[in-house]
Amino acid sequence: MNPFWSNIFRTSGYEDSLTYFLSTVPIFEALKKRELRFLESMTHVRSYEAHETVFHEGDIGSGMYCIRSGQVQIYVHDDTGKEIEQARLGPGDFFGEVALTAQKPRIATARTLEPTVLVGLFRADILEAVNKYPSTAAKILLGVTRCISDRLQYASLKLQQQGDNSYPGPEQGANDV
Amino acid sequence: MSDQTSLNRAQALLLYLVLTAGIASGIAIFSSASTITDLLKTATNGLFLPILLSLIVTFLLDPVVQFLEGERISRTNSIFIIYFLIVSLLIFLFTLIGPPNWKGMMIALKADFPRYIASAIAYLNDLLTRAQVHFPFIERYDLPGTISHSAQQFFGIILKETPKSAMRIGSLFLLVPLFSFFFLRDSKRIMRSLISLTPNRYFEMVLDIYDHVSWQLAHFIRGRILEALIIGIVVYVGLSVTDIRYAPILGVVAGVTNLLPYIGPIIGMIPGIVIALVDLGIGGQFWWIVCVYLLIAQIILDNFILIPILISRVSNLHPLWVILAIVMGGKLYGVIGMIIGVPIASIIKIALLEIRQYRRTFYRSPRVFLERSD
Repeated sequence: MNPFWSNIFRTSGYEDSLTYFLSTVPIFEALKKRELRFLESMTHVRSYEAHETVFHEGDIGSGMYCIRSGQVQIYVHDDTGKEIEQARLGPGDFFGEVALTAQKPRIATARTLEPTVLVGLFRADILEAVNKYPSTAAKILLGVTRCISDRLQYASLKLQQQGDNSYPGPEQGANDV
Repeated sequence: MSDQTSLNRAQALLLYLVLTAGIASGIAIFSSASTITDLLKTATNGLFLPILLSLIVTFLLDPVVQFLEGERISRTNSIFIIYFLIVSLLIFLFTLIGPPNWKGMMIALKADFPRYIASAIAYLNDLLTRAQVHFPFIERYDLPGTISHSAQQFFGIILKETPKSAMRIGSLFLLVPLFSFFFLRDSKRIMRSLISLTPNRYFEMVLDIYDHVSWQLAHFIRGRILEALIIGIVVYVGLSVTDIRYAPILGVVAGVTNLLPYIGPIIGMIPGIVIALVDLGIGGQFWWIVCVYLLIAQIILDNFILIPILISRVSNLHPLWVILAIVMGGKLYGVIGMIIGVPIASIIKIALLEIRQYRRTFYRSPRVFLERSD
């Protein structure tokens, strides 16, 4: 296209907007553009310094975070108090989604590794959306559920594999069927 | 060496200058601060009542706005729709029944008030002379004199304040809809930007606590206002069955005083009982009025129906706090302060309780977590 016209018709910086970023997060992929804009009005953008704790193991969680830029490390403390890294997350990843639906203590600590911008979505806002725009809220919650059940399935498969490795027995054949 | 001392002298001079400048600016800030607070006080003087009323309107209308918003109407438009509906409803009511003749009633009440007081005092005197037969020492206390004196004082205040408040009511009609419009439209945004100021570490907690507290508060305030409204209407309807005058005013008084727990209903009852006693005398109608006030409005409606439905027990205040809140509110803002003191104390109590509740779960959580992982 003529650069002149493409300049005029370009939606100014849509690729940089928060709406576009949210559409790239897998949980929100079912949302339309209008719903994404509503979602944008619900989220809270927070910036963190490097090595700042986002939440701590045992905190009461109330929401999930998507990483807009930067890097976040997820780790737990073992019995001796040593840190065991569980995951290192980058832009586009999300974490803490379990707390969105249930008021449970966090099971791991999240800490930034570099200056990071996080987009937070919290239960208070979701509950409000459920009353106001039930269909949009249902889509968001379905996305969260899908993601959680994926992980649950993955985790139980892994547990099953481990169980199979450590206790090779007659049940193994039954499981394979 | 001399170089060193000259440097020291320069340093000392600098220190002296900095200290002087510091002290001077401190004094300047202090003195200007007191004028600034004075200025602020003068500037915000008349704003207390309109802002309070618009907050009340906001709390009442917010569920309706949210309902309309759920029907995919933008927030601003839904507020306009509600305003339009309210205005047309008021106009419809006024054309249908005609407005209650407040002004005429006030003038008549001004004329009648001394008469009511006089008859009440006469009745009291009669009672006292009968009591003196049994308790002679009562004579030493000038009870009727004290009562008539304080009643006259009270009436004088009302007379003096009425023209002022008439002016104020005019500005209220302009300011309250305007303020509540913006409160309704932007309160979410204002609160969000305030909450976003909290540090990252506490952000989640603050957001959660704010959500709980605001839900409880909205529930409480809406409940109290609806309660007062319903009680007022019931008293008005109950009284207008009889021949008593000033039924609308008595209904308003009963509703507003009902905001005060324990003492409020009694205070709200007194004018109605006095007027009934003087105008109607003790008879069937008088007992019906007492019934309306005590049995129907207070016991059946308020205690058995409204309070359990509208207001949670959480907000119950100890009677001592109620009295303290009334006295302190009265000191700060006069009659209005006395009425809103108790609700504000309840609001503070609800907020504190919510925060404590949250902190308890927040601090217990590591233990819970350990138990869970075991």
